[in-house]
Amino acid sequence: MSTESIEASGVVTSANVTSDVSVVTTTHTDQRTGGPAMGQRILDIRNFSVDYGWGEGAVRAVNNVDLHLNRSTVLGIAGESGSGKSTLVYGFTRLLRAPGVIAGGEALFNLQSEDGTDIIVDLVTASEKELRKVRWSNISVVLQSALSALNPVLRVGTQFEQVLKTHRRDMSKADRRARTVELLALVGLNEDRLRRYPHELSGGQRQRVMIALALALDPQLVIMDEPTTALDVVTQREIISKLFELRSRFGFAMIFITHDLSLLVELADEIVVMYAGEIVERASAQALYDTPRHPYTLGLLNSFPPMHGVRTELTGIPGSPPDLAQLPTGCNFNPRCPYAMERCLKESPSLADLGEDGRSVACWLHSGDAGVVVPVELRRTGKGKREPAPMPVKRDVS
Amino acid sequence: MSEVTDVSEVIAGTVQLQARHLTRHFTTRIPGRGFNGKHVVRAVDDVSLDLVAGEVVAVVGESGSGKSVLARMLARIVRPTSGDLILRGSTIPRKAKRSLAYASQVQLVLQDPFASMNPVHKMRHNLVRPLVIHGAKREDVQALAEAALTRVSLEPPSRFLDRYPHELSGGQLQRVSIARALCIEPRVLLADEPISMLDVSVRLGVLNLLRGLCDNDDLAILYITHDIASARYIADEVIVMYAGQVVEHSRGTILVDEPTHPYTQLLIASVPNPDDPTSVGPPTAEQAQIVIAEKGCRFNPRCPFVMDRCRVEEPPEFIVGENHTSRCWLHADKPQFEVEVALPRRRGEGEITKT
Ligand SMILES: Nc1ncnc2c1ncn2[C@@H]1O[C@H](COP(=O)(O)OP(=O)(O)OP(=O)(O)O)[C@@H](O)[C@H]1O
Ligand SMILES: Nc1ncnc2c1ncn2[C@@H]1O[C@H](COP(=O)(O)OP(=O)(O)OP(=O)(O)O)[C@@H](O)[C@H]1O
Ligand code: SF4
Ligand SMILES: [Mg+2]
Ligand SMILES: [Mg+2]
Repeated sequence: MSTESIEASGVVTSANVTSDVSVVTTTHTDQRTGGPAMGQRILDIRNFSVDYGWGEGAVRAVNNVDLHLNRSTVLGIAGESGSGKSTLVYGFTRLLRAPGVIAGGEALFNLQSEDGTDIIVDLVTASEKELRKVRWSNISVVLQSALSALNPVLRVGTQFEQVLKTHRRDMSKADRRARTVELLALVGLNEDRLRRYPHELSGGQRQRVMIALALALDPQLVIMDEPTTALDVVTQREIISKLFELRSRFGFAMIFITHDLSLLVELADEIVVMYAGEIVERASAQALYDTPRHPYTLGLLNSFPPMHGVRTELTGIPGSPPDLAQLPTGCNFNPRCPYAMERCLKESPSLADLGEDGRSVACWLHSGDAGVVVPVELRRTGKGKREPAPMPVKRDVS
Repeated sequence: MSEVTDVSEVIAGTVQLQARHLTRHFTTRIPGRGFNGKHVVRAVDDVSLDLVAGEVVAVVGESGSGKSVLARMLARIVRPTSGDLILRGSTIPRKAKRSLAYASQVQLVLQDPFASMNPVHKMRHNLVRPLVIHGAKREDVQALAEAALTRVSLEPPSRFLDRYPHELSGGQLQRVSIARALCIEPRVLLADEPISMLDVSVRLGVLNLLRGLCDNDDLAILYITHDIASARYIADEVIVMYAGQVVEHSRGTILVDEPTHPYTQLLIASVPNPDDPTSVGPPTAEQAQIVIAEKGCRFNPRCPFVMDRCRVEEPPEFIVGENHTSRCWLHADKPQFEVEVALPRRRGEGEITKT
């Protein structure tokens, strides 16, 4: 097996994260106990923006994102490479490194104490010290980058040991060991793997170790950034079903990032689609799949050849992915959009509620203006199997 | 040595490149076991296939199944342990070095367009170099390079010739590397995972391009992928590899619609299917553990149908349908399939012969 070629994601572990960078969660600062009732809400992100660089050369990688998540639900984030999916997550979990800077917004996280009272913390303004205090216990992140993967010079067992030692001071050595074995069993690994070094495991096994690590401290929210993209489909499927089995057992909420929209449709309760740093559509997974509203979503759905039915030529999305440093005026998608109208070239549409079950879309076609005819493939209401609905062809105009 | 150099017209349906019983084993040392600790990796084992003008043959398999080693043998970059290559009717002498004449007819496109392009040179240089190596006249190269870019829909070509690799998107760069392979007018294009590093939104464009080259220019294409849906999308013939062997092989995409080998079935069941999420159960943990058996069927440790025989005896390829074979004991009642050497064939006939 060519293990080198298998890219793994990294869990942020105390083993490879220095004390001043890191994940997540706070207790005390900015607590607004009894503030806006969040109830089932676990996360509420508002007007959130992230830039790379400062001043003139700054590039806005995440722009004015609003996002919320309820307890025990799965939110999928889809979008092509460079659309800002990772940056968004790094941003609100405060894992961003220079030149990345949070340019505005808030990220309210509801810690909810054991008796059920809301304890709301703004992750954006929480100090590093406070972020560290409850790090891991509430949010854990499995990162996309292979570089920050498991610490290569430590045995798997040692990495679990370190995490538990740091965050569960009251645990005895024997308890820690027992907990580690239990965690490995959860992801279907034998305890003999504990003595192995990461490079001695297959890509799929490493991925499972990282999921086990992410669950070590019973987080309320687990964030997975492309956890299975580098794996074979069979391994991917196995890991995902394991993950979902664990989720229904422990009830954590999950944010799942991937470019594979068809995978998300199966996994997520709700999906947001990002384009050029902005959310362009948000809907329940099935609704998004059956009746996409944004031309970009339709294009993404048409980019996956189907496994069934007659073979027809698919067009995918015309043109090239956007360059954040040179976004067009008006709607970011207009250079690639076959439906672009006058207005799209001048004004930028914002995410607006469609009045259909919490669906929203950022597209002038759906603004309800008189005279705008919504193309049939973007207004279908029918349920059931979606035939690949072709988009009109647009020549590369860039 | 008479390697093929004739420039006769290519007719759709004529065989361009054939592989017969191609095999490549690697011997690696097992650390800590001294000189006797040797381990043989059967990277590719007895693979035969025909690449035909105007057709796409897709090879599907998981990581480590031997796809790249196969492509490299077909490009003659890796030397086979045994087996033959037959280019347009002539068997290539096994010991001979890869010649320019061979390279001019069989071109390989790699997975990572960024790594396969020289980053310090503009597109012009990257395109012109192979032309010059293959003997194009100085005064013609500009026109040839532009024509190649036009063929891959990078228009106007002048806008791309003076750009550096980092100034192009992944999809554009992969088009350039296909253009570079095409500019010397090969008969055979070997594409090793050409879309796996590209963004989802631009993958279809590259697939459609490959299909178009086949249909319009009668190129013979080998398309290597781990994505069985994309194989179904463009292929005329599909081969599924597992642990170096062909486990299932069919004309058309019948093996995707009606898989007969347990590995192909597992592979297909694992593909997300939003139309019917409940249609298939996820594989069990045993199935997803990649264990390759040394004895018997290589898939037996993961196979839900494993029988005693599977653990001791390696299955041959059985004929499970018209132009459809499967290497699995479940089909032992069917006739065995053997590859005939250098069988000339026409489109749609005699690809698979009974013995
Ligand atoms: N360190 C950095 N400096 C400057 N720009 C950056 C940096 N990191 C990311 N970017 C830019 O920010 C944008 C968003 O990147 P991000 O990694 O969030 O995308 P993504 O949606 O996660 O993509 P992928 O699917 O490839 O992981 C991209 O255009 C990228 O080029
Ligand atoms: N030079 C080499 N020395 C030893 N073993 C090798 C060598 N090249 C390849 N192998 C082994 O041969 C097998 C097949 O490798 P190959 O690269 O062809 O797989 P692949 O199907 O292309 O996988 P991927 O999808 O990861 O690209 C693997 O087990 C690999 O480790
Ligand atoms: S030969 Fe046996 S083990 Fe191999 S795939 Fe067929 S049934 Fe499974
Ligand atoms: Mg990312
Ligand atoms: Mg390969």
